[in-house]
Amino acid sequence: MAAVYHAGMDGIAWAASAMSAAQTRLEIAAQNLANGSTDGFRRSVARGSLDTRGVSVEGVRDNGQGALRRTGRALDRAIVGGGAFVLRRADGHTVRSRSGAFTRDRFGTLRDDLGRALVRMSLAPGSYVRSGFLESSNVDAVGEMVNVLEAERSFETAQKVLTAIDQSAQRASSKMSEFK
Amino acid sequence: MNRALYAAATGMAAQQKNLEIVADNLANSDVAGFKGAAETFTDIATRGGTLGTAPAGAHVMFTQGKLERSGGPFDLAIQGAGFFAVAGAAGGVAFTRNGEFSRAPDGTLQNAQGRRLIGARIPADAVSVNVAADGTVTAQTAAGEKRCGRIRIAEFSSPEYLESAGGTLFFQTKASGKTRYVDPGKRGGPELKFGMLERSNVTIVEAMMQILAAQRAYEANAKGVQAADEMLRIADNLSRD
Repeated sequence: MAAVYHAGMDGIAWAASAMSAAQTRLEIAAQNLANGSTDGFRRSVARGSLDTRGVSVEGVRDNGQGALRRTGRALDRAIVGGGAFVLRRADGHTVRSRSGAFTRDRFGTLRDDLGRALVRMSLAPGSYVRSGFLESSNVDAVGEMVNVLEAERSFETAQKVLTAIDQSAQRASSKMSEFK
Repeated sequence: MNRALYAAATGMAAQQKNLEIVADNLANSDVAGFKGAAETFTDIATRGGTLGTAPAGAHVMFTQGKLERSGGPFDLAIQGAGFFAVAGAAGGVAFTRNGEFSRAPDGTLQNAQGRRLIGARIPADAVSVNVAADGTVTAQTAAGEKRCGRIRIAEFSSPEYLESAGGTLFFQTKASGKTRYVDPGKRGGPELKFGMLERSNVTIVEAMMQILAAQRAYEANAKGVQAADEMLRIADNLSRD
C-alpha cells in the first residue's frame, strides 16, 4: 500500500484512523477465532484501503471450502463446492447457511439446531452434497493468531506515531512561546 | 476493542464446552452401550448478536458400537437401530443400548441401575437361558424347555430428540415421536445378539485428538482476549501521555 498523504488531513487524524483500522482487524480475527468450531462458518479476511479519510479496514468473506468431517449421523450434510442450504426461520424469512447439522422432527421436516426448517438446497453447478458429513469452519487458527498479533502491533505503532506527532506539536508551541 | 474482547471470550467459552463434552465421552468410553456426544456451535450473528459464537446444543451420536462376546449369562446387544425398554421402580420406561443384565430375585432381568428389562421373566428353577434372534426367551429347566417371554426392541422416528438422562439411559419426548416396538431379527431391522455386549462408540484416540484441538483453539482465543486487553491499555494510556 503506497502511503499517499492527502491534503486536508493532519497527522493525528491519520494515526487515529490507523488505530481504528487495527481495531477492526482485531475484531475480524477474534470473530474468526471464536468460530473455529462453528460448522459451515466462513472466515472474513481483513482488506485495507486508503482514502481521504485515512486508513480503513473491512472484512471480506472468504468462501473457501471447509474441511469435511465424518460424523456418522445420516442426516448431516455437507456441500462440496458452491451453494447453501436454504432455511426458513420461525418468522417466515428464509436464510442461507452452510451448516448442515439437521435432525428430523416428528413431522418429517429437517431442522437445524436453531429450529430452522430446510426448504431446499441451492447448489452451484458442479457442486454436490455428501450425507453423513459436516463441513468444518474454514478458519485457520494459526493464521488468525498471526492476524491478532499483527493487529496489536499495528495498533501500537499507530499509537506511537500519534504520540510523537502530539509531542512535536507540543514542543513547537512551547518554542513559539519562547520567542514572544 | 470491546467487541473483539467479547468475541474472543465466547470462543474460549465454546472450547471449554467442547472439552466438557469430550471429557464426558472419555469418562464413559468403557461403559457398554454408551453413545458419545458432540457439541455444535453457531455464529452468534444468526441469533441477533454481533461477533462471537454460541453453543447450539449437544448431539448424541447414535452410531453403532462394536459388539463383543462377553461372559455375562444374560448379556444382550443390539445390532442396528433401537433400544432396550427398561422400567423403573416408579413405573416410567427408559430406553438404553446397554444390555448388561442380571437376574433379579423376582426373575426379571435388571440392569446396573435396578431397572427391569420389559418382556422376560426367568423361572426360579432355570438352569440356563437362551435368547433367540427373534427375541424369544427360553429357559432350560429340570422339566424341560420353557418359553418365558419375548424381548422387543423400541424404535423412534427421531431418536435425536430423546432426552438423555445421563449415562446410557434415554427418555421419550414429544419430539422423538411415539415408541414403536419391533421384533428383532426381521429383514432390514435390528438384530438381537445374545451373549454379547455393545461397546461404547467413543474411540479414545479420536477423543484425545479432540481434546488437543480444543486446547489449542482455547489458547488461540485467549491470545485474542490478551491482544484486545493490551490494545485497551494502550488506548487508555493515550489520554495520560
